[in-house]
Amino acid sequence: MPAKKKYLTTSILQRWLKITAGFFGGYGVMITFFLMLTYFFERKNVLITGVVAGYILWAVLLLFAFLSKSGWKIWIIYLVLILLFSLPYLLHTKPYE
Amino acid sequence: MNNRNYNIYFHTHTISGIIIAALLYVIFFAGSFSFFKDEISAWQSNTSYVKNKELALNYSLLLDSLDQKYDLHGRDLAFYLYPNTSTSYVSMEASKDTVNNLKAKETAYIGYDFVKQKESSYAETYDLGEFLYRLHFLAQLNQAIPLRVGYPVGYLIAGLVSFLFLFALITGLLLHWNKMVSNFYVFRPWAKWKTVWTDLHTVLGVIGFPFQFVFAFTGIILIVNTVFLTPFSQLLYKGDMEKVFQELEYGALVEAPFVNKPLDKHINIQQYIDRTQQLWPNAFINRVTIKNYGDEGMMLAVESEADHRRSFAGTGEVLYELKTGKVLKQRSPYDTPTYIASIKSFIYRLHYGDYGGYFVKLANFILGITGCVVIVSGILIWLVAREKSSTPAYKRKFNFWLCNIFLASCLTMFPVTAFSFVVVKALGKVDQRMIYQVYFYSWLMLSLYYIARRNLNRTNRETLLLGAIFAFAVPIANGICTNNWLWNTWMQGARDIFFIDLLWLILGALALWAYRRVRQKQA
Repeated sequence: MPAKKKYLTTSILQRWLKITAGFFGGYGVMITFFLMLTYFFERKNVLITGVVAGYILWAVLLLFAFLSKSGWKIWIIYLVLILLFSLPYLLHTKPYE
Repeated sequence: MNNRNYNIYFHTHTISGIIIAALLYVIFFAGSFSFFKDEISAWQSNTSYVKNKELALNYSLLLDSLDQKYDLHGRDLAFYLYPNTSTSYVSMEASKDTVNNLKAKETAYIGYDFVKQKESSYAETYDLGEFLYRLHFLAQLNQAIPLRVGYPVGYLIAGLVSFLFLFALITGLLLHWNKMVSNFYVFRPWAKWKTVWTDLHTVLGVIGFPFQFVFAFTGIILIVNTVFLTPFSQLLYKGDMEKVFQELEYGALVEAPFVNKPLDKHINIQQYIDRTQQLWPNAFINRVTIKNYGDEGMMLAVESEADHRRSFAGTGEVLYELKTGKVLKQRSPYDTPTYIASIKSFIYRLHYGDYGGYFVKLANFILGITGCVVIVSGILIWLVAREKSSTPAYKRKFNFWLCNIFLASCLTMFPVTAFSFVVVKALGKVDQRMIYQVYFYSWLMLSLYYIARRNLNRTNRETLLLGAIFAFAVPIANGICTNNWLWNTWMQGARDIFFIDLLWLILGALALWAYRRVRQKQA
């Protein structure tokens, strides 16, 4: 009944890469995703939506990291996503008024 | 579903489940009782709120007595009220007038019972209802682990547990997705143990899924929403968290400058409260804030929740400038709520289960206890699935050791909770320290005893029996100590007190029945 070993990640480095990518990378992707949305919708409404949907999104991103074939790949994907989602913030000179 | 994904779901579900199991059990068990927090308070303090419903907080009386004791001049005050209980809390900030107010630096946070008209410290008002409520988000760990990480440790751990719980729920659902319908009808209580635990875990897990999912994610939001909000406050609000909370409509926004000139007339707060209440019929006033007491800049903010039969999510707010009596800002709880207000109320209503009377609370309680069963059966699957000759002996030893500790500390919660109810009633007057000692020491001793016995069946059997005995003792203790026998409270209309006694009676009967079934099966 326990999960079959041959399908699981055995390398310790890979395992840590996936866990950190899912937990920290996933958090970053989730936060920057909502950060991006604040430039398209009313800020406070995005915030409260994020409060509700953010943690679920984060948990799903954590799962995606475990499903990925390589820990390096998922870290790169998440980093690219983080960068992409932060573009509106980085390009805007004055984010708050 | 491809085999790789299936096994990954399986493994991540197992690992995340194992990590959180014990704490999650505590959260579910204590949380289930927290639905009846107010009833437990009424039961313990022997003051039925239902019976005294027409009484309400008398602000004039309370303010006069507080003024004499603390000198309210120049202070900010907040009153916190809760439905279904006569205990409210008052917080008093330091006075802004440090010249004339000799007690300016003193601050206070007190409890006030408006039926008994009695003021007491927070530790004195602390009761089993508060204890179990706070235990369900591990607040007691804040004091036990004095680790400074910028946020109370217990809350952080509770938040992490609920996040992993959310993760385990998602992987669990995916794991069972293909066989969900067919397995739903499968229950084989007379098969071998592994099958029993698996069926129990799957069926109850699937039935309870929507409930557990809702509680996992509303739980995270309520306990650690700063995890989400902090980056935004840093990036968009110059690190001003206060501003973020204002934007999200937490607490009435009151900007009240202190003028430092005494107000030349007496303000009748009670009158304003009454006026507000008339404005919003049946709304529940849950927070009253007074700024700059007795100063020309004195302000009064009254916040309320709509009558849930009329509006599920409505919250109201009114702000009075007391020098002129003018209304500065107003929002009725019966207006169409803003998007933010409706989402927030939705989260609160769902998590507290307070929108449909005893029926909803009871349904939530049952689903909560079902959650405990899902957790325990999950752990037992884990143990039994690894009890085979191909598993090395040292691993099997470790598995048993872990399972033994888990069951001993979780299953003892039931008798310990019932025992604490009895002791608290017998002692009469207890405070926070006393409740901690009774609950935690009896829990520790009983767990250690069963850890030492190293017999899972015995742990299960005896905790059921002990729990049943103490559960039956609860209404009896209440009858002997305060003459609140079931029939008396029923006839007096003290429905909240009656309910707690009845709940324990039913729990005792169920535990006794379960005990007998377990014995028959083991014999």
